[in-house]
Amino acid sequence: MKLPTDLVRMYKEIHGWVGIVAGLALFIAFYAGALTMFEEPLQRWASPPSTLAPAPSLERTPELVAKVKAAYPQAARGYEVNLVIDAAHPGRVSWRAPGGKRGEHGGGATYFASLAPDGSLQVEKQQRSEVANFIDVLHQQVGLPFPHWLAMPIMGGVSLLYVIAMISGVAVLLPSLVSDLFALRIGRNVKRMWLDLHNLLGLMSLPFHIIIALTAVVFAFHDEFYGAQRLAFSDAASRARPMMRAEASIDGTPTITPLRIVQRLQEQAPGFTPHQIVYGQGGGILPALRVQGTDPRYGQRGPTYGIAGLDPDTAEIVDRNYMPGMQDGWAATTTGLFTLHFGSFGGYPIRWTYFLMGLAGAFLFYTGNLLWVESRRKRERKAGAVTQTRATRVLGALTVGVPTGCVAGTAVTLAAAKLAGPSASYGLHSAVYYGVFLGCTLWALVRGAGRAGSELTVLAAAAMLTVPAASLLRGRGWYDAGELLLVDAAAAVMAIALLAIARSAWRRAGAGTRDSVWAARPLAS
Amino acid sequence: MTRPLSSRDWLGKTSAGFVLGFTFALALSGLFRLWTGYGDAYFSAQGQLGMWIMALTWPLVLGFVFLFRTTLRAWLWLALANLVTWVPLVALGGLHTS
Repeated sequence: MKLPTDLVRMYKEIHGWVGIVAGLALFIAFYAGALTMFEEPLQRWASPPSTLAPAPSLERTPELVAKVKAAYPQAARGYEVNLVIDAAHPGRVSWRAPGGKRGEHGGGATYFASLAPDGSLQVEKQQRSEVANFIDVLHQQVGLPFPHWLAMPIMGGVSLLYVIAMISGVAVLLPSLVSDLFALRIGRNVKRMWLDLHNLLGLMSLPFHIIIALTAVVFAFHDEFYGAQRLAFSDAASRARPMMRAEASIDGTPTITPLRIVQRLQEQAPGFTPHQIVYGQGGGILPALRVQGTDPRYGQRGPTYGIAGLDPDTAEIVDRNYMPGMQDGWAATTTGLFTLHFGSFGGYPIRWTYFLMGLAGAFLFYTGNLLWVESRRKRERKAGAVTQTRATRVLGALTVGVPTGCVAGTAVTLAAAKLAGPSASYGLHSAVYYGVFLGCTLWALVRGAGRAGSELTVLAAAAMLTVPAASLLRGRGWYDAGELLLVDAAAAVMAIALLAIARSAWRRAGAGTRDSVWAARPLAS
Repeated sequence: MTRPLSSRDWLGKTSAGFVLGFTFALALSGLFRLWTGYGDAYFSAQGQLGMWIMALTWPLVLGFVFLFRTTLRAWLWLALANLVTWVPLVALGGLHTS
């Protein structure tokens, strides 16, 4: 396709600058995002076994609920009946401690309850590891250790740059699309190979990137968008009302039993697997009695579930807005967009696909950074500089240090969850991650990209191996399902891949041109 | 005789896209709100889609705003886009009345 040369040159420059500003943040967002595809299994892998007695049957659950309410009156405001008992939900009944922030982005400690064999009430504070949540937040905040209110606008800025990078990247590629697309020139010209790879990855995953970018803008700016709409379109009286309706709660005891709810739901939505019954808790748009669950035939609104809103007396499905397969066109459209971001359809095959797409996306940004550093070197060389300028050296070092730091840091903090046990707080996971991350980044800056490249990749491989090592130390007791061994297996595979990468980086450092930032012994400056 | 496109005037063009692109996106979502009639129910399914319209329009404007030859043209064309969306929106009563 023919495009004016000035347009292509302009977009090429924009693509380069936008990419170098946002690339490393996007690497972290994509790598951590790929890991969040397995948030539930990772959490189960990292959480110690519960000490609660086996959950009582659904028939006996009303007895448990009554005992919980008698002993913990605050639980009556809102609680859950868990239908799937696993490491993340070890007790039949759970509730949040008061004082914890409510709403989408917060929550106090969670308690789980069960009945001991003698019928007495057993309560356990949540043992669930914080590590999966930490990785999720790392993903949402593009790796920034800031409070939510500060990290979100920055993430939003990154997502806007990401859209610009996509548009400009396509504009740059279009003129040579036909000749370049399936050409992967692996040979002496290393930059050509990286460029071919960058183009191929970028174009083939373009639909995925469009969806991720669009949804990321929504996640960053939905409050601002809604706020602006309300400011512009609503009258003063309506604006005076809080935007979030106060959460609806159920007075007294619902007349319908959990068992009956499950039965009624089965009649109305046979393909839907309920995971949790939620009583009177949640944000303004959610119904007071609802059931969260999955139906792999349809997309789900949440990362891990869809929602059926029920009539509290008859358990008839009255709110279909988030119910997989029962939504109207409007709700199905927005759900579809969320679903495509979360990969929450089609079960684990899709999650694995998204995992690989996320890694490919992270690799796309990494190759983009490599290209930027490389073409700057060429330009500076032409301008007469024999050695690299400091800016190029620093960016080369960051291109090596930040991705390896992120890969090593997430692996070590994941392993730490198993070693430190239930006392590992969010802060501890944060400290472990940022310690490793900053250590790698500093190391790259001090040693230079050429030498640090292979060294840090070997370190990342070793960090990956701490995951199965932690499992070996803890033994079999921490596995509530055999599939969780896949966590250790995946970490081992990634360690092998990292070692292979380290080997080529090492070769490149020895054999490449001396003035390259990737050379092990750069020319003295 | 037209000046070739350049990335040098990125700041002016980006500002135009950032400000007028946002108000343009807001007007489009306002027209959508009028058309579907969801009123103040911003969290209804239609209301959410109205928000998504902004999330789609604004970044697209930011990505394509560089195609204007000059910063001035970017501001003028986007102002025009705002005019042709806000005028019918106001005329049809899409704004609050107080």
